[in-house]
Amino acid sequence: MSPSDKTVESEYENVNEMVQPKVVFRNVSKTFKKKNEDLCVLQDVDLDVAPGEFVCLLGPSGCGKSTLLNIAGGFEQTDTGSITIDGQEITEPSDRRVFVFQEYGIFPWASVWDNVCLGLRKLPKEEQKRVAQETIDLVGLKGFEKAYPMELSGGMKQRVEVARALAVKPDVIFMDEPFGALDSLTRLTMRSELIRIWKQEKPTILFVTHDVDESIQLADRVVVLTERPGRIARVVDVDLPHPRDLASPEYARIKGELYELLGVRDWG
Amino acid sequence: MNIYPWIGLAVAVLTLWKCQVFTKVILPAAVGLVVICLWQLACDHFLSDTNPTPGQTLAAIFEIDDNGRLWSDAAASLFRVTWGFFLAALVGIPLGLWVGWTTRGFQALNPIIQALRPISPIAWIPFAILWFGIGDGAGIFLIFYASFFPITVGTMAAVRNISMVHQRSALNFGLTGFELFRRVVLPAALPQIITSMRIALGVAWLVIVAAEMVGMDSGLGYLINDARNMGRRYDLVAATMVIIGAIGIVLDLLIRKFEDFDEVRWGYVKR
Ligand SMILES: Nc1ncnc2c1ncn2[C@@H]1O[C@H](COP(=O)(O)OP(=O)(O)OP(=O)(O)O)[C@@H](O)[C@H]1O
Ligand SMILES: [Mg+2]
Repeated sequence: MSPSDKTVESEYENVNEMVQPKVVFRNVSKTFKKKNEDLCVLQDVDLDVAPGEFVCLLGPSGCGKSTLLNIAGGFEQTDTGSITIDGQEITEPSDRRVFVFQEYGIFPWASVWDNVCLGLRKLPKEEQKRVAQETIDLVGLKGFEKAYPMELSGGMKQRVEVARALAVKPDVIFMDEPFGALDSLTRLTMRSELIRIWKQEKPTILFVTHDVDESIQLADRVVVLTERPGRIARVVDVDLPHPRDLASPEYARIKGELYELLGVRDWG
Repeated sequence: MNIYPWIGLAVAVLTLWKCQVFTKVILPAAVGLVVICLWQLACDHFLSDTNPTPGQTLAAIFEIDDNGRLWSDAAASLFRVTWGFFLAALVGIPLGLWVGWTTRGFQALNPIIQALRPISPIAWIPFAILWFGIGDGAGIFLIFYASFFPITVGTMAAVRNISMVHQRSALNFGLTGFELFRRVVLPAALPQIITSMRIALGVAWLVIVAAEMVGMDSGLGYLINDARNMGRRYDLVAATMVIIGAIGIVLDLLIRKFEDFDEVRWGYVKR
């Protein structure tokens, strides 16, 4: 750990001076103990995320993005430092903050309807019906309520998973490369759908990806992580209105910046 | 020689090659026919006259049917298998679910299960007879023993194989206790439980014949022994073997019906 790592802090301290941050990462470090060597995966990650903000975590494969998100979701513990949501330290998973998994996390043994109802068990029957139908309509799966996941395409499965998360009206949604397994065209549609839903519901979203374009198309801010051990290399603001013009000079400039941060020089 | 009929035949075969009726009925039936022909050939040219031909075997099946032993002995075997298997599922599935899910249960019971599992049910025949006498009790006990381990171990493995994302989904949405069991543990394990039941039933059907040959006085296994001892009626032996095979196929088809339910179909999709 070199002192120069700390200089990155100035990059994001101007953000959200007024609002209470929703999610706060403080000095988060994580080391996996292996038989003969320790694997340091995360080092001193510091980050504030505002309510309703869409933040992308961008980094090379294996740099600890999933690990960071898993800790935030309450599935794993930090070694040092802490992650708080609304000032509360995260110790275990909760349906106030929902995960959308890298591999399909919906239940293949349950219909679309039952999957979406998973988090609505405690609501009264009528209310449950209304919310489930609303959410299914929102993600564009009307007419597929009775279908089972294996009868759906990859994109539709991810819609079910997004619906299952949205149904509980969570404050924070963690998405770990949710569109990674989809073809590039479906991926584009899913991104614009996600933005549409996000604008409507305004949850805070932490979105992990290793796709530079994906991060610029989605995020308010892109947090670039270094190679393992993952540290924050820089936080890049994306000040482009949605729907974003992929041909604009600003888009190209951000893209260049991100590629440079990731250490890729001749990208086209 | 005219070549066109041959081209016609080739085209016909090629069209048939992918057709359902061909792949599911004609092709397997043709192979079966070839095997029966080989059997007949072997009887004609190589084997002594004591060996029954396919025709004699068929006649023997009618003979067993006529004297009523087909039904009474098949019923005796099926009765033992049904009860032994049913009791094994009744105990084995809940036990497997519990041992698979709880760490302490696994630590406590897995070693003893693994230790008893390799002992062949056949080896238990003397004790089965000592405890239950010659008859249904001993048969049911042996079938219970034979199907208990595939079911319990299969269920256990099924639960322990529940994928990390599904466990985490359950955690994320706050499922606990019975709800966790009903919505995740059981449905996630069900396809593999059904598979283990299928394996268990197959084993049970193998074991009951052996058990009846050694230590019982009714059932299809006993029928085989009886036929051999009473005047070396090898045609009756072969006939009984055919019947055993046929009933085995029917049992397997019956239990495979479980695989068609919407809740478990996902578990059998080819990946
Ligand atoms: N439970 C674990 N035990 C030991 N090592 C682990 C564990 N989980 C992750 N790791 C290691 O930590 C590192 C970071 O893993 P992580 O899954 O967070 O990467 P990632 O940034 O999400 O990569 P990708 O983009 O490929 O998904 C990897 O080198 C991985 O081998
Ligand atoms: Mg990952």
